[in-house]
Amino acid sequence: MNVDPPHPPPPGIGRRSLLAGGLAAAGLALSGCGSTTAAATGAPVPIRQWNLFTGGDGARMVEMHERFAAEHPEYDLRPTTYLWGNPYYTKFAMGAAGGRSFDIGTLHLSRVKGMGAGTLIDPVPREVLAEFGITEETVRPALWDKATVDGELYAIPLDTHLVVTYYNREVCEQAGVLEPDGTLVRTTGVDDLFDLLSAVKDVTGQYGIVMDTTGAWRQFWSLYRQLGGEMELEGELGIDDDKALQSLDFLRRVSQEGLAPESSDAPGTPARFQNGIAGLMLAGNWELPTMQDAGMDFGMRPFPGVFGDELGQGDSHVFVLPHRREPDEEAVRASVAYAAWMLKNSIVWAGGGHTPAYLPVAESEDYTALEPQAEYRAAADDVQLDPDAWFSGSAAALMAEANSVMAGVHNGSSTPEETLAAFKRAVQKLIDTPPPV
Amino acid sequence: MTAPPTAGRASRSDTNGPSATGSSTRRARRTDPAGPALVLPFALLFALFLLWPLAAGLWTSFTDRSLVGTAPSFTGLDNWAEMAADPMVWRSLWTTLLFTLLTTPPLVAVALLMAVLTQRAVRVGWFLRFSFFSPFLLPVAVVSLIWVWIYQPGFGMLNGALTGMGLPEVNWLGDEGTVLLSIAVTTVWWTVGFNYLLYLAALQGIPSQVYEAASLDGAGPWQRFRAITLPLLNRTTAIVVLLQMVASLKLFDQAYLMTNGSGGPGYAARPIIGYIFDTGFTNLRIGYSSAISYLFFAVIIAVSALQFWLFTRKENTA
Amino acid sequence: MSAPTQAAPAAAPRTAAPAPDAPRRRWRVSPTGAAATVSAVVLALLWLLPLVWAVLTSLKPEAETTAVPIRWLPVEPTIEAYRLVIARGDIQQWLINSTVISVLVTALTLVLCAMAAYAFSRTEFRGRNALLLLFIAGIMVPPQVLIVPLFDQMRLLGMVDTYWGVALPQVVAPVMIFILKRFFDAIPRDYLEAAHLDGAGHLRVLTSVVLPMSGPILAAVGIFTFVQAWNNFLWPFVATTDPALMTVPVGLGTVQGAYGIQYAQQMAAAVLGAAPLIAVFMVFQRQIVRGVTDAGLK
Repeated sequence: MNVDPPHPPPPGIGRRSLLAGGLAAAGLALSGCGSTTAAATGAPVPIRQWNLFTGGDGARMVEMHERFAAEHPEYDLRPTTYLWGNPYYTKFAMGAAGGRSFDIGTLHLSRVKGMGAGTLIDPVPREVLAEFGITEETVRPALWDKATVDGELYAIPLDTHLVVTYYNREVCEQAGVLEPDGTLVRTTGVDDLFDLLSAVKDVTGQYGIVMDTTGAWRQFWSLYRQLGGEMELEGELGIDDDKALQSLDFLRRVSQEGLAPESSDAPGTPARFQNGIAGLMLAGNWELPTMQDAGMDFGMRPFPGVFGDELGQGDSHVFVLPHRREPDEEAVRASVAYAAWMLKNSIVWAGGGHTPAYLPVAESEDYTALEPQAEYRAAADDVQLDPDAWFSGSAAALMAEANSVMAGVHNGSSTPEETLAAFKRAVQKLIDTPPPV
Repeated sequence: MTAPPTAGRASRSDTNGPSATGSSTRRARRTDPAGPALVLPFALLFALFLLWPLAAGLWTSFTDRSLVGTAPSFTGLDNWAEMAADPMVWRSLWTTLLFTLLTTPPLVAVALLMAVLTQRAVRVGWFLRFSFFSPFLLPVAVVSLIWVWIYQPGFGMLNGALTGMGLPEVNWLGDEGTVLLSIAVTTVWWTVGFNYLLYLAALQGIPSQVYEAASLDGAGPWQRFRAITLPLLNRTTAIVVLLQMVASLKLFDQAYLMTNGSGGPGYAARPIIGYIFDTGFTNLRIGYSSAISYLFFAVIIAVSALQFWLFTRKENTA
Repeated sequence: MSAPTQAAPAAAPRTAAPAPDAPRRRWRVSPTGAAATVSAVVLALLWLLPLVWAVLTSLKPEAETTAVPIRWLPVEPTIEAYRLVIARGDIQQWLINSTVISVLVTALTLVLCAMAAYAFSRTEFRGRNALLLLFIAGIMVPPQVLIVPLFDQMRLLGMVDTYWGVALPQVVAPVMIFILKRFFDAIPRDYLEAAHLDGAGHLRVLTSVVLPMSGPILAAVGIFTFVQAWNNFLWPFVATTDPALMTVPVGLGTVQGAYGIQYAQQMAAAVLGAAPLIAVFMVFQRQIVRGVTDAGLK
């Protein structure tokens, strides 16, 4: 689009012209044909944005982009969506390594360090960001801190998202586990929760609750953090065996006592909740639009306080500036302007269940009035991010390894002790792998 | 000569007049400046885009080079030692070999069947060549999109056909036991057309008099196929098997696309090139993935050498 | 199949080869011939089924694609999916990119390999045999082995996300030199000596004597190279991350619709991505079959 296709030398041309063609090729490549000086011509500044959102999130992003484009004709926003998870991260790393294919990308905050903050990811110029109204004071502090590496800001946080509890209001009412105002009763401790789940199970006839057993890390980390567990991912793996075993044993019991399916994968989990096989669901807040679209009567609240506070594992979607081969202040400025606009308009984004990171929106009446977001938004203040390491974070190796070994406690194919041992072996191997960043 | 065209082609330069080298040396014995000049452009690209990365890759395999571009340091044989002990390397290599074993026999047999049928069929040659070969012309992404859709649980064509016959659904791409098989079936559909054309060309190189003579002897179609066609196709079959095995060992594209880059459940469909890709570009470890690249290179060379040896031995005894 | 190719340089270099299977057609229909025809047609229809299913899906409204039990024919056929895909504009851009890159690769391959093949076939210079041997060894290197170091190198050269970065490594196919050299070797030297006696240099001999006599083999190499470049996935996938520079296979394989998977649109995009080469094949079937066979039998 913004690149003139080089013309192939016509057949039968002499050697010299071919060499000249080759040199022209090198010149073309070196001159960075992707960057155009739009300011000089007054043409809209292109903003090539990459993201990993499809489904409900994708639709909301498109809605926001349409508004952005309408309000800002001086920019030419060109979004591209790649497949969530490794395909996206791989493209991101390669594109940033190449240094000219995009201007701004979405990322999970937990991946910023692992994706090469300072090498593949350029710092965000704070003064430019401040010009567009985003400063440290306006962003949720925990996220801003995590986005800051060695004193430089590497990410602009858009939201917080975390594992929460969904409940089918009709089923829960019949089970008698609703408060007078129609919200789910708060439980404390394992027994309390199991009693509630049994009551719900009696109504559904199948299960009390459903959770993604192929993605057990999110639940595990929530429980482990409720116990106050820490994890050290350098040198020798630092993990509290007792707390880890307690957490794993909870996952084992909930499935083995028939309160939750022994096996339920990512697409199957919301489906089971939706069609009433289970009355409760532990899942990311991003399933909210799916349930709303299905026309369900449901509510949401934080991850149950099984071992203490109602803490839930989560992450944050952020905008980052990929490394550029050649500095382009204009493109960076345009990208920052776009990100700032997205933060300020994140009330639309919040409709997808995410909690805005931009405080003026998060504290606005528009947001606090949103239901069922209001029921769980407090939990976002204390979101439990993954432990720090280059291989941790959303869709990264730690999560993948954990998910693959922990599925066994749900379906009874391995004991918590065996699972913990396998997990420790896998994580130690990751720690021992020479870090690429 | 009754040999299939492949034989004719290979021996052509030997039989057809004096050799080129002979003729030009007779004309000008001294060094001819035009020669190097004409070779130079290609040689430059060859050096730049083959020799350089080949050497750079070997060097990189002794370093901890990373995609994020921090300064690499020399790590000696660390990568190679890690590779020898890495179960995922051997797992992906096994997946690659399994895929080769799964695909090569049908890709040869179905191609031969198609070619023989086309040869015997009347008046539909154009249509047959079109339907058997056109899948080969599809970009791999198109093939993957179509087949992921066909394998789809619930509303895909294949499961629709299964449930229509009262059989249970199969989660073709979502089950560790069937994912590689499903990719193999897709591959046969996609690439068999190429082998088919090679066989077709070979069959058309067999003079019809050979068949007519056999018909006079009272040989039926099956006997004629067994006694005449197959032996005459030996050389083509050898070439097809050789090309096919090397092609199957290079599995990546459709396995990557049909599993959404995940390598399939339990990595059951991640071939060695997939592991190279994941290690280098997803896990950012260029050094380690260079070492695995060289292992793969060694496998390809070994298989080619083995085949070459078998091939030449067969030729000599034939 | 190869007989006309062999004869071509000696006989009439410029005329198209005779139809490969024309003289072998049997006029009387034998029972086995009829049986073969029927089974062949059944197999061919089965082989076309996936394509037919893709086209049928692309003509359905989105809601109809996921109906259970499945329906084969669209109840309300529509070209809405095509309209949406074309309105997005990606596929057109990718088709342009595929065309530019494939033409670039094909043209460079033909020119550079013909020059080198001529040099190996008709000139004598120091290091000639060593170089020939090196190129033969180069055939043994699978491009897949090189992707990781090559990406690293392209990054160093600043050629990631450029047309040249995608195209140039694909030109390094030494096998094409050997195919052409074998053909050039077979050209009777009388032709060339006559030209040399007229005072023509090597470049003149190559362009005005050798190349005109080599139409069929150049076409074969050209067609084969073009099809390979058009459908190549791995290297273009690695070398391009900018969607504006992607080829059809890479774009279709990586870029997602923001609304999630919509089968009718996916199939419409697949059909559009497949259409050009299939259409060309329908028109030039004989030439393509020959090109692929001749160049394929490396």
